Amino acid sequence: MDTVLPHQFIELSLYSLRHRLQVNQHSIQQINSPQEYVQTLRLNPEPILLKPLHIENVVAAVDTSTIKIGDTNTGIVIAVRGANVWKQNGNYRYTRIGPFIFHVTEENKSEVYNTLQSAYFGTQHGPSHQNTPNLLQMPTRIATLLERWLQKMLSRTISNGLILFDGSLTSGTPDTPTQRIEEILGTARKRANIVLAFSKMTSLRVNGHLITDLLPNHQPPYLLEVDGFRPRPPVVLLGNIYVARLTRENYAFRVDIDKEVPTEPKIEAVEKLLGNDIFSQSYPETLRLAHILCTFTANEVLAMQHFVTRKFGLHVFNRPDMHKILFGPYGKGEAYS
Amino acid sequence: MKLYKKEGNVLQVLSFPGETVEKGDYLLVDDSEARKALIVQVIDVQFASIPGVLEELLRSLPDGGELIQGEDIDPLEIAPHITFIQDASLLFCKIRATVENENLSPSSSWLPSRSQSTIKRLPLPTLLKLAKVEGKLPIVLGCTKDSSLLTIDASSLDGRLNIITGKKETGKSHLSKLLMVNLVGYRATVVVFDLNGEYHSLGMTNDGKRNAIYDKIHVLTPSQNFKLALNQLNLHVLLGILIHALHLPGTSAREFRHIWQSLKDRDSLTLHELGETIRNWNCNQQVRDALFSRYHSLVNSGFVTDNIAEATMLEDCLFKAKEQGGAIIINLRNTGSIDRQIVVEYVLGKLVESLTSWKLKAVFLFAEEAHLYLRETYWDDIVTRMRHFGIFTTFITNQPDTIRDNIYRQADNIFLFNFTNEHDLDVVSRAARVDAETVRSIARDLPPHHCLALGKAVRDFPIVTKVKAMDVKTMGETRLFFTNTTTG
Repeated sequence: MDTVLPHQFIELSLYSLRHRLQVNQHSIQQINSPQEYVQTLRLNPEPILLKPLHIENVVAAVDTSTIKIGDTNTGIVIAVRGANVWKQNGNYRYTRIGPFIFHVTEENKSEVYNTLQSAYFGTQHGPSHQNTPNLLQMPTRIATLLERWLQKMLSRTISNGLILFDGSLTSGTPDTPTQRIEEILGTARKRANIVLAFSKMTSLRVNGHLITDLLPNHQPPYLLEVDGFRPRPPVVLLGNIYVARLTRENYAFRVDIDKEVPTEPKIEAVEKLLGNDIFSQSYPETLRLAHILCTFTANEVLAMQHFVTRKFGLHVFNRPDMHKILFGPYGKGEAYS
Repeated sequence: MKLYKKEGNVLQVLSFPGETVEKGDYLLVDDSEARKALIVQVIDVQFASIPGVLEELLRSLPDGGELIQGEDIDPLEIAPHITFIQDASLLFCKIRATVENENLSPSSSWLPSRSQSTIKRLPLPTLLKLAKVEGKLPIVLGCTKDSSLLTIDASSLDGRLNIITGKKETGKSHLSKLLMVNLVGYRATVVVFDLNGEYHSLGMTNDGKRNAIYDKIHVLTPSQNFKLALNQLNLHVLLGILIHALHLPGTSAREFRHIWQSLKDRDSLTLHELGETIRNWNCNQQVRDALFSRYHSLVNSGFVTDNIAEATMLEDCLFKAKEQGGAIIINLRNTGSIDRQIVVEYVLGKLVESLTSWKLKAVFLFAEEAHLYLRETYWDDIVTRMRHFGIFTTFITNQPDTIRDNIYRQADNIFLFNFTNEHDLDVVSRAARVDAETVRSIARDLPPHHCLALGKAVRDFPIVTKVKAMDVKTMGETRLFFTNTTTG
């Protein structure tokens, strides 16, 4: 796998940290991905039955994680990390990149985001702040940038494989330009790879019910086809949506498969995935490992706070939680607000 | 190191990688603003409770249980910081003293500043100097972890009750020999109840040559070079043997007193005459039988003789030792249980007699596995009455539960070797001079030949030391069946 990282990422990280600013430790939370807009959805109740295909195929997965490690008087300090995991010849291997730590302020957020975009993908939104995310969105946006770059690297380096993404194949959102996803999917197809995106959570509903709750009484593994999803422009769906129940446990996930791939190879791709990866609770192990490997633990947050304190002389202090101060035991903390 | 918490007299200190601190080490918690410092001893080292560590460890294991292989690209080099946090340890420390103006006090009633205090290792030589452990009669016990010598003062054993305990083959006898040799060197009188014949070569070097104390070691083996003539015996001592070692009933003892008086009046205090007198004495048949059975026990022990030339004067050895210092080794190795009790009863009786009449000033008594020969009532005697006479006992045992609780509570010094058994640790932890946690935590991890010195000898600062080697012929080795055998 190509693991050459754009130097810009590291340079920006260090540059942003060198400003002597006080860090204010604050509750750690990840920001959810933007909501999708759903129209006339249909769920085909007839399941597509699957048989595991035990043909040797590389299974690779990408995931990234971000975490806020503290507040400063002028912004936030965040960390981003990504992981590629692949299973080949029965063994799991990984490449983990990061953590990269950024000090993001209102003043530097455009510079940070645009510089990273151009470093990764050769594109940027220009000097206008119109497309620059707000401060709270910055952690996810930077993580998404890293994730797209890792996906690009995988699609370029693997051939005849199954590439698993975390999330959906929806594009056209500010952090996921359609052209960028099309490029990634196109590169993957050229190398005979098939991209499958697993969403842990979905908001898609049919008759008011979540599509992953409408499971027929049938022996898994199977797929249910979902159609009629017409996102509002500029959002574009680059995959076909399925509900996948792949193990006996009563869990199902939304799975998007590159729509440019004909139907039969799509189904075959899921069957190959079943034959090549371990599944627990209907979720592929490769993707689970990618998620686990990039997720930050509390221990790492402490270490990163130690790092910024030691290397950049930032002093960590606790900002008082106004909910607790005002409401005492009835204040659930700002994270709940 | 950072001060984290104080609960009772236990201080919790956060320690980071690179600050190598182990159990038994001393730390100085210095609060410069308060102009005071706490001396604390590390009694346990645990991992600091860092959130997320379990997740960190678990995530590297996939379903198969093998470590997942991979590459970490960490351009900012955060990993060392993660390791730094992950490997942080929490030191549980007992507060031993407060230092104020270079004076030590046992107080732990003040709280040093958590943010301002500095914590550093307190080198043992500094501690020993502060505690004034060394004295005019130094005994080098051994080497401490930081390669300094642990030297105690011989006077800290004077008038004291000491216990040397630990499991088998940890070096108890070695330490008792070391103490003994040093005491003899300071012209002290030492009496040893040598159960396994380990001490009779104290006067020889490892290669079998005579050492400096060769002439001061007097080995007495009962019924060989250690025999008594009845006329050397005091009635009080002999009655002690008959009643306590041979369990002679009171009525018979009263009759024996008359027989003894009669023999003494006739100046016929011989074993032969004693037998004849019992045979012809006008008394109840049961009393006669009782007296006869004890008489035969005495005869069969071989410890009592009518041949004056054979008889050894214990007093002579004691007086010789009194003048130049010396050790009287009572070799009980091949002595049966009853005979052993006869001998011990005699020796202790004789010691008390000599001490009460001020013929002797004081005696250091070393008793190995004393429960095998010491009668019940002597335990209390030893810690109370006999101490006042000038018998200063050191018990050596690998079965700590054979020594009574009150002995532990009154022990002035305990030299503790490794114990792993919870029950044994429980027993020893009843000692008054140290807290149970220290005993349990440190003694469990002591390597062989390392001892935890507790009590007055170390001014109540428990110190771990590797007992120094001695150029003395070792006799305490276990006889083995497979030694020098070859397998075919």
